[in-house]
Amino acid sequence: MKMALRVALLILGVVAAVWLWTVVFPSPEKIVLRRIAGLAATATISPGEGAIMRAGKTSSFIGYFSTDAEISYDLGSYGTRTISGRDEIRELAAGAFTTVGSLNVQFVDATARVAADKQSAEATCTARVTTGDNKDFDVQELKFQLKRIDGDWLITRAETVKTLQ
Amino acid sequence: MQDPNHSAGKPGWVQIVLIGRRPAFTLVRIFVLVLVCVVTVKFILLPIRVDGISMEPTYHNGRIDCVNRLAYWRHGPQRGDVVAIRLSDPGPFSAPSQMYMKRVIGLPGETVWFHEGHVYINGRLLDEPYLKTTCDWEHEPLVCGPDQYYVVGDNRSMPFEYHRQGRADRDRIIGKVLL
Repeated sequence: MKMALRVALLILGVVAAVWLWTVVFPSPEKIVLRRIAGLAATATISPGEGAIMRAGKTSSFIGYFSTDAEISYDLGSYGTRTISGRDEIRELAAGAFTTVGSLNVQFVDATARVAADKQSAEATCTARVTTGDNKDFDVQELKFQLKRIDGDWLITRAETVKTLQ
Repeated sequence: MQDPNHSAGKPGWVQIVLIGRRPAFTLVRIFVLVLVCVVTVKFILLPIRVDGISMEPTYHNGRIDCVNRLAYWRHGPQRGDVVAIRLSDPGPFSAPSQMYMKRVIGLPGETVWFHEGHVYINGRLLDEPYLKTTCDWEHEPLVCGPDQYYVVGDNRSMPFEYHRQGRADRDRIIGKVLL
């Protein structure tokens, strides 16, 4: 019984050590996923947030993108629209953040793949978006391309994915 | 007088109720039970809650159901099956949290055409006894690829442009809705 307890404690210790290691030294995939989750948190606006806070959120939102970033999104029967550069993204974000009463954005089912050179990555996720007091939500599949620029993972391209073609 | 050694050897009723006569075996049983539940819920019968009206009146908003992930182990989806379609791939060890629930109407290689609210498969009218509403949907014919299935909801009273439907790749269809 004592032996079994020792073995169990040893296994528990190893598991705890591995977990601690991954917390202190996260893999690039985890860092990319955290980055994507941070983008969703930044895009979330609560009803009580005023104009100054929303402007601050816009600036934070821009910080997730590289200077030459592109966002391509599907507009259904109107085709696809692409915007490029931080200025256009800022305009889009500011417009969205000021017009909606509240916005809840969650990125779920996210996965990331980091290239062998550890300098670029691709992430996919499903955005779950609720606007205002609406109980209903909308879902949209997204794909991100990221690059490591000055030690920071920045989005170089974000696009909507058509789940049903 | 009661023998103290004798009473110490027998577990008390509180212990029997809480952790059984043999705690080690109880722990093993709990572990196996949790493992079976996790494997079943994640990889075999995925619980879902219907959100939205695109499958009305067959599946109402808020209904709880299950997706049988082993339904297409041996064969592909059949026409008329109600299936769950994943959006982004959460990886091999996770179940997707968001899915579309749709009915398969077109099989690989077939041409699907909506004309005056009716569905035509390879030019032949499709009988859809599950439909309870009529519509005036009109859409140009679409050909399913060799690994694609045409899926659509049962609620055809919605405008075509608001209804998510189209060709789903086989690897996105994660299973058949059970009930």
